[in-house]
Amino acid sequence: MAKIALGCEPVVGSLTSSKKKEYRVTNRLQEGKRPLYAVAFNFIDSRYFNVFATVGGNRVTVYQCLEGGVIAVLQSYIDEDKDESFYTVSWACNIDGAPLLVAGGINGIIRVIDAGNEKIHKSFVGHGDSINEIRTQPLKPSLVVSASKDESVRLWNVHTGICILIFAGAGGHRNEVLSVDFHPSDIYRIASCGMDNTVKIWSMKEFWTYVEKSFTWTDLPSKFPTKYVQFPVFIASVHSNYVDCNRWLGDFILSKSVDNEIVLWEPKMKEHSPGEGSADVLQKYPVPECDIWFIKFSCDFHYKAAVIGNREGKIFVWDLQSSPPVLIARLSHVQSKSPIRQTAVSFDGSTILSCCEDGTIWRWDAVANS
Amino acid sequence: MSASKASTSSSPSGSDSLTEHPSIVLVDAKTPAALEIQAIIDVLKEQVASERTVFVKRRMEENTQKLFDVTKNLFKLSAERNPKINGTDQAVDLLAKRQKDAIDMQNGISTSSGDSDGNSPQEDGYASSAILLGSSIAVKNAVRPIKLPEVKRLPPYTTWIFLDRNQRMTEDQSVVGRRRIYYDQNGGEALICSDSEEDAIEEEDEKKEFTESEDYILRMTVKQFGFSDVILDLLAQCFSRKPDEIKARHEDLVKEGNDMGFTSNVNVDGSISSYLDKNLDAALDSFDNLFCRRCLVFDCRLHGCSQDLIFPAEKPPPSCCPDAEKDPCGANCYRLVLKLESDASIRSPGQGTSEEHLFPPSDASAQMPRRKNLGLSVKMRTKSSQSDGTSSNAKNICESSDSEIRPPIEVADAQPSSSPPKNKLVKRGGTQKRNSKRIAEHMLVSMRKRQKKMLASDSDPLESGTLGFKDLSLQSNSRKENGDESSSSLKLKSPNARRPRRISPALDNCKPLQIETSGCPPNLVMDNQPVIRKDDTSRKNDLLALGLYQHEVNDDKSWKPIEKALYEKGLEIFGRNSCLIARNLMNGLKTCSEVFLYMNSYDNKLISQSGDGANALIDGYYKVDGKETMGNGVRRRSKFLRRRGRVRRLKYTWKSAGYHSIRKRISERKDQPCRQYNPCGCQSPCGKECPCLVNGTCCEKYCGCPKSCKNRFRGCHCAKSQCRSRQCPCFAADRECDPDVCRNCWISLPCSCGDGTLGVPSQRGDNYECRNMKLLLKQQQRVLLGRSDVSGWGAFLKNNVAKHEYLGEYTGELISHREADKRGKIYDRENSSFLFNLNDQFVLDAFRKGDKLKFANHSPDPNCYAKVIMVAGDHRVGIFAKERISAGEELFYDYRYEPDRAPAWAKKPETSDFKKEDGGPSSGRAKKHT
Repeated sequence: MAKIALGCEPVVGSLTSSKKKEYRVTNRLQEGKRPLYAVAFNFIDSRYFNVFATVGGNRVTVYQCLEGGVIAVLQSYIDEDKDESFYTVSWACNIDGAPLLVAGGINGIIRVIDAGNEKIHKSFVGHGDSINEIRTQPLKPSLVVSASKDESVRLWNVHTGICILIFAGAGGHRNEVLSVDFHPSDIYRIASCGMDNTVKIWSMKEFWTYVEKSFTWTDLPSKFPTKYVQFPVFIASVHSNYVDCNRWLGDFILSKSVDNEIVLWEPKMKEHSPGEGSADVLQKYPVPECDIWFIKFSCDFHYKAAVIGNREGKIFVWDLQSSPPVLIARLSHVQSKSPIRQTAVSFDGSTILSCCEDGTIWRWDAVANS
Repeated sequence: MSASKASTSSSPSGSDSLTEHPSIVLVDAKTPAALEIQAIIDVLKEQVASERTVFVKRRMEENTQKLFDVTKNLFKLSAERNPKINGTDQAVDLLAKRQKDAIDMQNGISTSSGDSDGNSPQEDGYASSAILLGSSIAVKNAVRPIKLPEVKRLPPYTTWIFLDRNQRMTEDQSVVGRRRIYYDQNGGEALICSDSEEDAIEEEDEKKEFTESEDYILRMTVKQFGFSDVILDLLAQCFSRKPDEIKARHEDLVKEGNDMGFTSNVNVDGSISSYLDKNLDAALDSFDNLFCRRCLVFDCRLHGCSQDLIFPAEKPPPSCCPDAEKDPCGANCYRLVLKLESDASIRSPGQGTSEEHLFPPSDASAQMPRRKNLGLSVKMRTKSSQSDGTSSNAKNICESSDSEIRPPIEVADAQPSSSPPKNKLVKRGGTQKRNSKRIAEHMLVSMRKRQKKMLASDSDPLESGTLGFKDLSLQSNSRKENGDESSSSLKLKSPNARRPRRISPALDNCKPLQIETSGCPPNLVMDNQPVIRKDDTSRKNDLLALGLYQHEVNDDKSWKPIEKALYEKGLEIFGRNSCLIARNLMNGLKTCSEVFLYMNSYDNKLISQSGDGANALIDGYYKVDGKETMGNGVRRRSKFLRRRGRVRRLKYTWKSAGYHSIRKRISERKDQPCRQYNPCGCQSPCGKECPCLVNGTCCEKYCGCPKSCKNRFRGCHCAKSQCRSRQCPCFAADRECDPDVCRNCWISLPCSCGDGTLGVPSQRGDNYECRNMKLLLKQQQRVLLGRSDVSGWGAFLKNNVAKHEYLGEYTGELISHREADKRGKIYDRENSSFLFNLNDQFVLDAFRKGDKLKFANHSPDPNCYAKVIMVAGDHRVGIFAKERISAGEELFYDYRYEPDRAPAWAKKPETSDFKKEDGGPSSGRAKKHT
């Protein structure tokens, strides 16, 4: 991707804030000394839309956002292995709707925590190296995918504890996989990206019988015929450096490299030659001072906005539904100077949380524009 | 770590004008018109840009709309998850409970909620001490952290794919020329692990297609100003391409525009019909390119596609199985069809007898229909040439004349070559080379002649029959003496046994006819009548067939090019056997009878093309002859054939004795790894220029050269020793035995093979099973993967094995040494390398693809050793037991890193017990996972 051809230029957003919305810090708490790498609202179960979880070090903590900027601690879990450093957390649920927390980190073990009973539900051993991201299938929230340093993406059934598919091999990633995401409506489709600078789109359509089989599997999980998906349906070289976060925006993909911008592009696949195709870069959302890897952005439930922090502790809120892109707000606070690893946006976008390298959590609430 | 990318992102974004300014100034100086052109181009560009903006906007809106529905659905789902748990009413959901508690708590104190921006940092007591944070309320409940019991983590590994055989690296896996960033987990530093020049090369090589909008601007500009160099330059600047690129594109566009009118229905055909429209050459092209002749699979991962096509100098004769020919091959077999028709004709007035009655006692009866039909075809030829209006041909003569005329025809048959001996040679060559079916046909031609003759004159049928056979058997010299009883002495013990004599030459030449000929003469002698009658029948059949033929001339058009080509291939492979051709090549396309008819009409065409005059048949014969391109080459080969037995024995001794000379050349560079074998295409015994010889490898069975080639590896003769020691030439040369090459090495199979029990040793003690084919047969030990006692992962053995037992293969990707160096840069940093030197061309990399043996650890005092072995032309790495190993033991072998490069853990204290067993593997670059 040396040069973008004429007539295919992306529309680039302007960094001057439209001030459409204003946010103000309503709370800040220090969870510990260790960096916080992930924060996530529960979008799986409407009862818990105000509940979020953070991970950092060997700790997983569940909070609740209350009125007036109040944050309540609901639960806290500590891995007995002090060397564990969780990198990612995602909400999921059992087949009968019980809320589950799925976390993974440097040890490569996926911890499935039964938040309803406050105990470990299952631990998945299988990844050969650290886990960089876990995401939940919103249509079937007992399916999760994990992206790992072992160059694979794996699909798990948290209900039965089965590793259903491994997305790796001949067409797989050539370096750590840093991010993965389920397509919001096409249940077969996932996108992953990583240190090999590519974004790969995978389809599990041909393997769907295995996914279904995983729900009814009664034998030992280790006896399940885990399949390798070796070839993605699409490989995009939109970036020329580590790609550390990607999310589906409908049929488009938002992805972020360490190039100080989020890119929105459309995968244009060729019907009959899987793996080939081109990426049409539609829009770009600049994010200054965002050139270290493992900074992830997040969206609200309705994908109206994308929120990303940067290396200097500032937050950029981009409107995802406008063209050209509009910067809704730029959030900064004198005391927020540490790199923001991940943000979380509440269901309606009124609350933004950020978790930082220095172990702090910041809560920003929208201020009614009068 | 990013940096380098800044320019690309910013430039396309904003300013057309900025980038264009220099160009305007430049052009300005040249011509005033240029400014105008530039202005137009700018306008067009703006237009394109704004169209693009509109397009993006539209796409965004569409997507937003879609997302709206999607999220609505998701919300519905998330809401539905509530009642489920309430309905089941199981244990209390602690999360919900705590959630509620928190709210209650806040409500309880809601009056006093300070809401003072919540800026009170909670330094120390997280989670455990407070549940409400950010309010000024005192802590009431403590959240006790819940412990997650420790789970032992796995030793690190990269997800890998199991390979049961080596694979060559595919292009897209190469890291050469790629920008690679290595991120050091500990130091947090990022290193660029590739050379910058290489990046530059890659980016420049990238060729971009013209986009629609570029086409648009190009078209519009040219439309407005015509085509000139100035425009070319300006456009080139605008697109940042080369002018000639633009020129080429313009020409394409013009062409496209012209074509536009016609090309509305270019590619409408379905896949099936398009495949039928292709000709066979195109289809075979993919066969030639994709089929691996060494592994006998398509899309071979080891040898790749587009291999050099090497045709062996010695081609096996087309297969023919006479036994299979007796039964009709199916409902549409030509035999059934023709039989039906001949039955019909027989039943017609004047023909009283059925076929069975014609030859009741003779064993020829089974063969007869076939013969008849073949004869039929011959007749058809002549018939059709008659109908073409050609005045006379051999058959006419034959039919109208008595036996006196016969010999001249025979002579005519042989005439085209000036001298009889030569003629004989040619014919002989022909017989050997051509498939027996063809000969059968030819013989039948003569047989027919003979029969015709008998029909015309009953006198001395035997004599003429003899003539026919002699002619067939190509004993032209003996034909010269055909008056004499003793003439046949050449091949006969006793002159009295005339009939057998006649048969034996035929026997020599053509098996399928054997029965027929043996059947016929008695018939001829005993009852001429039936033969004649039969002839009548066949004449009737002629007419019938003629009708068929005519009706089939139309059919001929319905044969698609690919079908015709397939048919010709079929002839090459199966000979004139419509059953086999139809079944194997034209399945679903043409039936056997259709093929048969086509075969006849095809021959017919050949004849009629050449056939003006008396020697139509002969010409036809030679035509076929010419087509087969036999002539000299065949003659030469037959010489080899004759000499081969003797030569071979000599060769073998020379080979086993002189083996060292070749070996020596290899062993002169003992430090060098073995050399990659590539089959040579020599069509004659390899000389000095043979690529194999030059490269220092032996010729293998995949080479084009004949087996007598001096550079061939001859295999072994071992029997009782079972090829287990260096006494076996194969073993000594670090090669596995090859049943195709070695004399006594075979696999003893239990009666039922194909049930996966390949190579299970037979219970009988009388066969000496070769023990040097383990890699080929994949007779490996069960290896287990587990936590190593030393570090990381380790490979373990499931069962006890004896010394020198083959344990398994070290498989991986075959990469070039250059590639290995590039990859090694990163592997070395991670202190985990799976590279294994294979030969002078390739290194095995088991990093992403391999088998469990890649996890076997290094030890200076190992229980295994690795060995590079040549198996059917490929080098492979076998791991063998150095000593007796019992079940469950971890496997170690010496990686044999080069001393100066070895990491600390692989450094040898001293090379004391360095056993020099196999030169080759010792130079292994080896690998390890720490």
